[in-house]
Amino acid sequence: MATQIVMDHTGDTRHYFDAKDAQALAKAEERFKELTRDGFTAAVRNAAGDVSRVRSFDPTAEETLFFPRLVGG
Amino acid sequence: MFLFGRYPVEARSLIRVVRRLSRIFSSKDNSEARSQRLLRTWLTPEQRAQFDAKRYFDVIGCDSRKRYRIYYGTATNVHEIDVAGRPKVGWCFVPDGYLAAGDIMLAQKISLETNEVGALLIANRFPIELSRRY
Repeated sequence: MATQIVMDHTGDTRHYFDAKDAQALAKAEERFKELTRDGFTAAVRNAAGDVSRVRSFDPTAEETLFFPRLVGG
Repeated sequence: MFLFGRYPVEARSLIRVVRRLSRIFSSKDNSEARSQRLLRTWLTPEQRAQFDAKRYFDVIGCDSRKRYRIYYGTATNVHEIDVAGRPKVGWCFVPDGYLAAGDIMLAQKISLETNEVGALLIANRFPIELSRRY
């Protein structure tokens, strides 16, 4: 089961989907586009723990993390 | 016993409120606890060990290869570290919105490791002398 994790005031909200289900995959891709359009950064990590940013939806990603746009503190 | 005898309804109501508040603040599922769990999951084994021992972890900027230290906190918690391991300057940048400390620290880590220049362009510099940590 693939997961999209979106940071929010509750800690995070998780969206689970079956990447083999075309309808669920389309919904996940739409969520990805909406979030990144709203300024969220999307990131994935590999088995070693190295993190990378992703700018387009990766249907093979097991876990994608989204955090809101940065602002100066 | 005295409370229940004299103010049965009020006392029980108060106890219920206190219990509920206690559950909220000590819950392992509040935003802070959830953000800490998420952060720990995304740290490398070395960063996790450092964070467990010292309440901070180091990251290497993807562009400059400089070292930054991210302290537990929600603001003025990122310090650039010089080659001798001393804090050099502070950088203040956070994800927009009301997020718990773990989420903020994770966003700071990912930003420095994947888009250092972009993060520092947004960030405000601050002198370390102003920080309470030194």
